[in-house]
Amino acid sequence: MTKRRQIRFTIIRSLVAICIALLVATLLIFISAGGDSFQEKLQATGEALKQMLIGPLFRMSKKKGTSFELKRLADILAAMIPTIFTGLSVCIMFSANQFNLGAEGGIMLGAFASAMAAIYLPLPAGLHPVVAVLIGGTAVAIVMLLPALLKTKLNVSEMVCSLMLNYIIMYVIKFLMNTYLADKSRGQIMSFPFRETANIPPIVNNTVFSGAKLTWGFVIAIFAVILCGLFMYRSRWGYAIRMIGINQDFAKYSGMKVGSVIVLSQILGGFLAGAGGGIEMLGRYTNFSWSALPGYGWTGITIAILAGNNPYMVPFAAFFMAYLSKGCDLMATYAKVPAQLIDIIQGVIFLFFAAEQFLSGYRQRLVVKSAEEEIAARAKLQKEG
Amino acid sequence: MLNFLKMLITPEFFFSIIRISAPILFATLAAIVVEKAGFANIGLEGLMMFSALAGSLVSYYTKTWYFGLLAALATGVMMSLIMGFFAFKLKTDIILVGVAINMMGSGGTLFLCKVITNLTQGKAMASTTGLITKSLCIPDITIPFINKIPFLGSVISGHNLLTYLAFLFCLLTSIMLYKTPLGLNIRAVGENPNAASSVGVSVLRIKYTAMAFSGLMSGFGGAFMSMAYAQGWSLDMVSGRGFIALAAQAMGGGECFGGMLSAIVFGFAQALGIKFSAIGLDSNLASPIPYAVTIIGLVIFAIVRNSKIRKQHSAAVLAKSEAK
Repeated sequence: MTKRRQIRFTIIRSLVAICIALLVATLLIFISAGGDSFQEKLQATGEALKQMLIGPLFRMSKKKGTSFELKRLADILAAMIPTIFTGLSVCIMFSANQFNLGAEGGIMLGAFASAMAAIYLPLPAGLHPVVAVLIGGTAVAIVMLLPALLKTKLNVSEMVCSLMLNYIIMYVIKFLMNTYLADKSRGQIMSFPFRETANIPPIVNNTVFSGAKLTWGFVIAIFAVILCGLFMYRSRWGYAIRMIGINQDFAKYSGMKVGSVIVLSQILGGFLAGAGGGIEMLGRYTNFSWSALPGYGWTGITIAILAGNNPYMVPFAAFFMAYLSKGCDLMATYAKVPAQLIDIIQGVIFLFFAAEQFLSGYRQRLVVKSAEEEIAARAKLQKEG
Repeated sequence: MLNFLKMLITPEFFFSIIRISAPILFATLAAIVVEKAGFANIGLEGLMMFSALAGSLVSYYTKTWYFGLLAALATGVMMSLIMGFFAFKLKTDIILVGVAINMMGSGGTLFLCKVITNLTQGKAMASTTGLITKSLCIPDITIPFINKIPFLGSVISGHNLLTYLAFLFCLLTSIMLYKTPLGLNIRAVGENPNAASSVGVSVLRIKYTAMAFSGLMSGFGGAFMSMAYAQGWSLDMVSGRGFIALAAQAMGGGECFGGMLSAIVFGFAQALGIKFSAIGLDSNLASPIPYAVTIIGLVIFAIVRNSKIRKQHSAAVLAKSEAK
């Protein structure tokens, strides 16, 4: 199949998958929409869909009409920061065929470790957030050693192990917060405020985005995307990771150190998830108050699947998910459709993207067409020659 | 310490171990059968969430618990068949199908719960605990005569109907796997699908059957969670039992009896955690115990398995060199 056809197929396939998901969403919105008659329900559905699909970027009001809003774009970009990191993390781990699902706990632990560094380490501004984020990343990298080493040494399922770790991390952090680290003067359980020096500053003055907080974390995230891309496609280790993912036996036979590469992939994945948690924490909050897993890890898995484990595609997938998520939030506010619709849409898109044989008939036709053209071209050449 | 031990050796404690083990056992049986058929169903968590929601809602609307139970079972089977469609027909990686179902099972069930209660009750509810009363739950059963035995009677008698069913199903599943043609086919497909299909076994149908069975068991597990363990459905109420079951399957060596013992070990860990918080320890310190025990259990199982393989290997080498 020619490269152009390949790309065309990928795009069409993605669009069809998204359309199916939106169709399911429309159906669910229709069921949940208010209104007594069919007509009213249909109208409410339309309103809700409008909020979900164009609301994330445009403000719709009856008086002023639809207008583009920079603040909402900034909100979406800011929401992408943690999910880009978890997406990259999952990309690297899944590329090595390691179904480590620990990004969820990883991002919480990273956020927690960075927060502690931000509170208790006295460091000068500028250096402080860097050190804090590095501490967050390192903490998770160390924890991820557990599933990685158990997998390579004892062949324990990294999936079950990492899932269990998510719960353990969450409860241990909650325990530490409740007993030792909480600021008892507050009404709810939260840590002491971070030192001023640990803040990750916004890129531009807040007034430009009318209050939206887009920090330098976004730039770091994009930088991480490029680094990961270079690592995966331009380095020896990245090649080894991808090769092990494709065929572990072959990689072993050709002399790659399969065990250490598998461990490396999960350490890197853990580091990325932890750093993402740290950046999110220091950029968005002034003290640590998470009491449950934030869900970025699962979104990261969806993003990695949408991106086809290609780091360069992660920002686009993350943008798409952040856009939809924002849309669902707006819909919940304005149209009274529960915001958790995002989980169903996410699941459906996820399923169809991961489905290898989805639209395989169409691909088959494209392949046949390409082959026929090639044969015809060759015959023509022979005739002329 | 002695006081604490005294607190543990009570009929109530053993009773709670059995009670807590039941849903894990259901999910473990689901994991065992699909594993025998050659793949892993990590969507048990999500399946149980959907079944739990369906069970509690239908039980409320029909005012009869067995319709609720049937709805939970039907939901489990239907969802698992959809999973099978994606995995076998559209060739999605079965692990990713499971991840997707778990994703939907978390937020998606809350969405459905809000929408359905909004339609019928007039206001969106975030859980169904307000709707389910004791009479809508699956009944407890007192076994005559046995309940008169001191200590043992109060441990064994008085459990929920589904708890007894869980242990019964453990036996039945074992019989199904080893004494029936279906079980033979399932194991054959898991061992070598090409060989199985060469003697005329429909591999696809067997895989779907195994999937449906796992859905059925998840349905029981889900119904237990929302109609016996707790009264009504609430967000993330399965809290990792589907994942723990995967570990129990591995720890039990993929056999029903071993899986049952592992499920009981996890039940014990959880019951212990509850006791810990009862004597004043922070529940957040006690809650991770079952998850930590899962990892430790997997490690022990792996070490035992590896040394067994090594022993077999060296025995084979020895036999070979002697033959020379």
